[in-house]
Order: sequence, then structure tokens, then C-alpha cells
Amino acid sequence: MFYFLRCAGRNMFQSPLLCTAAVGTMTVSLTIVAFFGVIFFNFEELTSYWGRRIQIKTYLETVPGALVLQGWLVEIREYPEVDEVVYVSQAEAFDRFKERLGQNSDLLHGMTPSILPASLEIALKEGFRNRQGVERVVGKLRKNPHFSDMRFGRDWLERFDSFVALFKFSAGILGGFLLFATVFIVSNTIKLTLYARREELEIMSLVGGTPAFIKMPYVIEGAVQGFIGGLLAVVGSYLIFALFLKQSLVSLLFTMGVGRVSFLPLRFQLGLLGAGVVLGVLGSLASLRKFVRIHYS
Amino acid sequence: MIHICNLSKSYQKDSAALNDINLTIGKGEFVFVTGPSGAGKSTLLRMIFCGEKPNRGQVLINGRNVTRMSSSQIPYLRRQLGVVFQDFKLIKNRTLLENVAFPLEVQGKKRHEVSKKVYQALKMVGLENHLTKFPLEISGGEQQRVAIARALVVDPMVLLADEPTGNLDDQTTQEIMELFKGANARGTTVVMATHNQEIIKRHPRRVIFLRQGRVVDDYTP
Repeated sequence: MFYFLRCAGRNMFQSPLLCTAAVGTMTVSLTIVAFFGVIFFNFEELTSYWGRRIQIKTYLETVPGALVLQGWLVEIREYPEVDEVVYVSQAEAFDRFKERLGQNSDLLHGMTPSILPASLEIALKEGFRNRQGVERVVGKLRKNPHFSDMRFGRDWLERFDSFVALFKFSAGILGGFLLFATVFIVSNTIKLTLYARREELEIMSLVGGTPAFIKMPYVIEGAVQGFIGGLLAVVGSYLIFALFLKQSLVSLLFTMGVGRVSFLPLRFQLGLLGAGVVLGVLGSLASLRKFVRIHYS
Repeated sequence: MIHICNLSKSYQKDSAALNDINLTIGKGEFVFVTGPSGAGKSTLLRMIFCGEKPNRGQVLINGRNVTRMSSSQIPYLRRQLGVVFQDFKLIKNRTLLENVAFPLEVQGKKRHEVSKKVYQALKMVGLENHLTKFPLEISGGEQQRVAIARALVVDPMVLLADEPTGNLDDQTTQEIMELFKGANARGTTVVMATHNQEIIKRHPRRVIFLRQGRVVDDYTP
């Protein structure tokens, strides 16, 4: 193994131009993927933020007694879809309404909290913040005759579901194209660098090198170049994010309710390094298969 | 040592590079394969080191049918053969030492053994003082001597040389021929393809004369 590492290192130092071309291509390709990832993850945060606002409100016709209310809260909390249930008394509802009216709150002068119904506000767990999740919970709640008046913004929910579906579909298509383009560009660059060394590969096979022995240093070289490319892509995309992208994303997402933008999660950064190594290894193997094999009868 | 039976090779339908060749080359022989350009000299040598596959016939080296060898077996055959080409085929970005060491490294020899053998091989061809030079820093004749050192460093049973003096002047040609004769004297079978009749006259050995892919003469002067 030490011999192969030494050969790979020597190849890179002796052909700095070819090495730079391969690393540069991988860096640029993976930076574009990372750039796409930053935008995707922050928009996913936005949809997640919107999703957290999905809740079911059920208005109660009469104010329940403490024991009955406690029984309902326990029952609803046991639903697997439910994250949290909050009881909003008439007084709390009145205070909220007053607060919402702001300067016009004097319109409520002379009125008592009894004009507003008490309610239960039900928040859902992350995987159920969609139309199906809401409908399942609503279906269970309907079995209780006291929960007759339920609101969950059906139209908004449908639009939200469609937006999330479209967002994920577009991200999948764009990401797929991007990945395909990256694989194509990287494998062709490696092919060109190995084409420049085809004579060397031919000579190695003529003096008795087995395909595995000939290929190993070039595969290691591909892996090292891929790792360097992945590392530079993470660093490069962070610099682009910090210097140019962050401010624009903050401005855009703040107006939509998300106050914080973040760089790629650690798992995605490690994924980029891994992708660089895999691209380097597979690109080298695919090209070597062609160049090493042709010298055999 | 080398038995060639009914060997034929054609690249196009109506012209054969080799046509029904039958030959036997004994152990320790020194054989010239000669003939005009296009006679099939290089093709014959390529068949012996499995550079190409024949359309028909067999090549047996030490009783092993090399034409039926799988791709995975070919490298092991090549390690027992030394091959020298007209264009030297040295790896340009490796030093002379690294070029000569490569056939030993593929065999997994220990580092100290590699160093020792490489030094001896380069000393044999008179280039022991140029170990760290690169091929393009030395003359054509010296490059060919390095190629011969690389071929001989593995102590091959057969040395195949395809027009090894084609690009060299008379003086260097003589030096190269002395190296081949030395290897032959140490027991290596030498098969050398050349169109240079002057060499054949100066070094009388068995001659196999090819024309249009056929053996038209086979004699020992």
C-alpha cells in the first residue's frame, strides 16, 4: 500500500497541471452542488417553519368542567399525530382578540369574555403537518359531539401541500440534473488526464503489470483529488455563502417569516467530501478500464 | 522453448500480416527475424508477448499455449519475457532507476533487492551514473540501453527485440548488439526483428526471413 501511495503522490507532483485540472473540475462541480444545497436547505427550513403553524382549532359550545377538560386533553395528547394541545379559555381568547385589535380595542368596551367561545388548539408532529395528518386528527375529533366547530384552513393547507410537493419535485429534478452533469464532467476530465498518460499505462502492461497493480495508484490519486476537490468545495461554498449569499437569503426569508439562515448541515458537508472521493475513484476506474484493457489481446 | 504452429493473422479480409507460420526456436538460441517492411516481423513478435491475438494457430512457450491465455494470466507471462522496442517505450516522467525498477516492483520484490538488481542492470549497460536522470535527458542510444536494462533486470527466459537499433547510429548499434550477445551468452533466448542486413552479416546467427507474412527462408550461416 505504501508503494501505491508513493506512486500516487509522485504522479500528482510530477503532473501538476493534470492534477490541478482534475481537482479544479471537481471543486467547481461540487461547489455548484453545495450552492444548490444551501438554497435547498434554507427553503426547506421555510416550509418547515410554515408547517409548524399548521394547527387545528376546535371551538367548544360550552365551557367544560375541569375534569372533563382534563379528560379531553389526555385523550387528544395520546393521538400519535398530536404534538401539543392547549386549552384557550374565553378570557384568554378575549385578551388575544383585544391585542389583535390594537388601537381599536376600545370597540370591545363594555363586552365580557363570554362573547367568545373557549377552544382547543392542537399542534401536530412534524410528519403529520399536511392535509392527510390534519384530516386524520379531525376525523378522530369529530367522534366527540362537543367538537362540532373545527377550523384548520383547508384551502391554505391544500396550497401548502402543493407548494411543498412542487418544491421537493423541482429540487429532485434539479439536483438529479446537477449530479448527472457533475459525474459527466468529472469522469471526462479524469478520462482526459489518463489519456495523457496512456503511453505510461501501455508500458506498465508490457512489462508485466497486472491491471490491479497498474490501476491502484491512479485510483488512489483519483480519491485524493476527489477529497481535495470536496474540501475546497465546502470551503469555497462557505465563503460564497458568508460573503454574498447569506445577506440576500436573510432578506428574502425574513419577509416570509424565517429569521435565521444557515450553512449546509455537517452531514451534507461530509457527504460532499465523500462524493468527491467516490467521484474520483469511480471516474478513475471507468477511464482506466478503457485504457488498461486495450493493451491486452 | 518457442513453438509456433500454423499461426495466421490478418487485419483486413484480403491481406494477411502472418500466413500459416510454423517455427521452433530452441532454448538459448539467438535468432534474427528479418524481411522487408510489412513482412510481419513486428506482428510475429507481438503474438509471442500476447500484444495481439492470432486469427488462427498457436504459440507455445515452454509448453504453455500463450494464445489461449486469459487476460489475467498474460502479465505473468510477460514477467518472464524481456521486450525491447524501436521507440524504447520508457516512462518519461520517471527516472532511469524507476523505469528499470518497475518490472521488479510489479513482481513484489523487496526494496533492497530491487535497488541492487537495478544498479547491476544499469551498470551492465554502462549507465550506473545516471540513475536519477529522466529519459529525455539522455541520448537515444542511452535510452535504448535503459530499455535493455529494464528487459534484462528480470532475468528473462526470452528477450524479444523489435527493431531495437532502428533509430541508432552504427557505433551505438554495435554496443546494443554486444549487450544482446552478452544476454544470450548468459542463457537468454534472443529473438530480434530487424530489416538491417548489415547487422545480420556482422553477427552471423540463425535468420528467419519473412515476406508477405510467410516464412520464405530459415537458415543458419
